[in-house]
Amino acid sequence: MIAAVDTDALLELAWVAPLAVLTVTIAWALVIRGTTLALEARRNGRSVAAALHGLVAVAGGALFMAALVFGLLIMISKD
Amino acid sequence: MESDIILVIVVATALAFDFTNGFHDTANSVATSISTRALAPRTAVTLAAILNFAGAFISLKVAATIASGIVDADIVTTTVIFAGLIGAIFWNLATWYFGLPSSSSHALIGGVVGAAFAAAGADAVKGAGLLEKVIVPALVAPVVAFLAAGAAILLAYRMVGRLHPGPVNRGYRLGQIASLSLLSLSHGTNDAQKTMGIITLALIANGDLGGANPDPPMWVIVSAATAIALGTYSGGWRIIRTMGSRIIKMDPAQGFSAQTGGAAVILTAAHLGFPLSTTHSITGAVLGAGAGKRLSAVRWGLAGNIFLAWVLTLPCAAAVGALTYGFTRIFGTGAAGPLIVSASLLVLMAIVFGKRVQRGPALTTAVDT
Repeated sequence: MIAAVDTDALLELAWVAPLAVLTVTIAWALVIRGTTLALEARRNGRSVAAALHGLVAVAGGALFMAALVFGLLIMISKD
Repeated sequence: MESDIILVIVVATALAFDFTNGFHDTANSVATSISTRALAPRTAVTLAAILNFAGAFISLKVAATIASGIVDADIVTTTVIFAGLIGAIFWNLATWYFGLPSSSSHALIGGVVGAAFAAAGADAVKGAGLLEKVIVPALVAPVVAFLAAGAAILLAYRMVGRLHPGPVNRGYRLGQIASLSLLSLSHGTNDAQKTMGIITLALIANGDLGGANPDPPMWVIVSAATAIALGTYSGGWRIIRTMGSRIIKMDPAQGFSAQTGGAAVILTAAHLGFPLSTTHSITGAVLGAGAGKRLSAVRWGLAGNIFLAWVLTLPCAAAVGALTYGFTRIFGTGAAGPLIVSASLLVLMAIVFGKRVQRGPALTTAVDT
C-alpha cells in the first residue's frame, strides 16, 4: 500500500513549495521596501539613493510578476 | 426514458454540488483579503467569482472520474454518482453550518466511496488509491503550507518590520489582490473540472457520450463554470469569518504570507501531479502565518475543531453516500429513489435556510472587516 504513495513528488513538494513562497515573499518585500525608501529619499532630496531604491523595487516587482506568470503557466499546462 | 430522468437528476445534483463547492470554498481565496481590508467583502467575492468562472475554461483536461483509482470503475452507475454527490453536499452544508473549512473534493470522494461500498461491498474500494489520493495529501498539505507561511511571515517582518506601517500595510494589501486572483483562478481550474468530470461520467454511463476519453460538451463546461461562480459569489460567510478572523487576528503581511503560502503549495503540487486540497493548504498557511508571529496568537482549540472536521470528512460523507444509495434502492433501480431523495433534500434545505433567514441577516453576512 505504501508503494502507492509517490515519495519523490512528496519530498520535492516539501522543499520546492517553501522555496517558492520565500522567493515570492522576498520579491514583494523588495517592492515594498524599495518603494517606501525611494519615496523617503526623494522627499529628503537624495536623488541617487531614491533611484537605487527604485531599482530594487522594480527588480522585486519583476521577480513577483515572473512568479505570477509561472503560476499561470502551471495552471494552463497541468494534466 | 427512466434512465434519462436519472441522468437529469444527476446533472442537477452535480451542479448543486458545484454551487456548494464554490460557496464553501470562497473563504479559501477571499477570507484573508477581507480580514485585512485589502478588498471590501462584496468586491472580493465578485472578483473571486469572475476568476472562478474564467478558471473553469483555462484547462479543459477533464479528470473523467474524481474517484478514479479509488473505487472500481465498473460498478460506477448514475445512482452511485448521485448518492456520492448527496453525501458530499450534505458534508459541505454541515461544515458550512458550523463555519468549519473542509475539503469539498474529499467530501465528494467520501460520498462516492460510501455509495460504491453500499453497491458492491468492500472489494469495490481501493485502499491504496485512498491512501495516495486522500490520506497522504490530507496530512502533507497543511504541514507544508504551515511551515512555508510561517517562514514567509518571519522573513517579511525581518525585511520590512522597521519601516512605517502605513505604506507597508498598503503594499501587502495590494499584493493580496494578486494572490487572491491567482488562488481564485486556480480554484476554478481545479474544482469546476470535478463537476465537469462527474457530469461527463454520467453521460458516458447513460450512453450519451462515447469514446475512451470524450471531451465534455460545451453546455457542461458553461453550466459547471456558472454554478461554481454563483456559489462563490453567494459567499460562505461563516467559513470566511472563521478563516479570516477567528483562527488568528491577522495583519496584511500575515494575510499575504498565508495566501502566497497556500497558493505556492497548491501550484507546486499541481506542477508535480500531486493532488492537494485547497482548503487544507490555505488553512495550514493561515495557522503558519499566525504561529510565525506568536504561537499564542493562534486559537488552537478552533484549529483542533477544524482538524476533527477533516478527519470526519471521508467517513461522514461516505456514510451519507451509502445510506442514500441504500435508500434509493428500496424503490428499485428506477428514477423513483433519486427523485424522492432530491425532493427530501430540497425540503430540508428550505427548512434550514428558512430558519437562518428568520434569525436575521446578521448571521448570514457577519464578517469582521
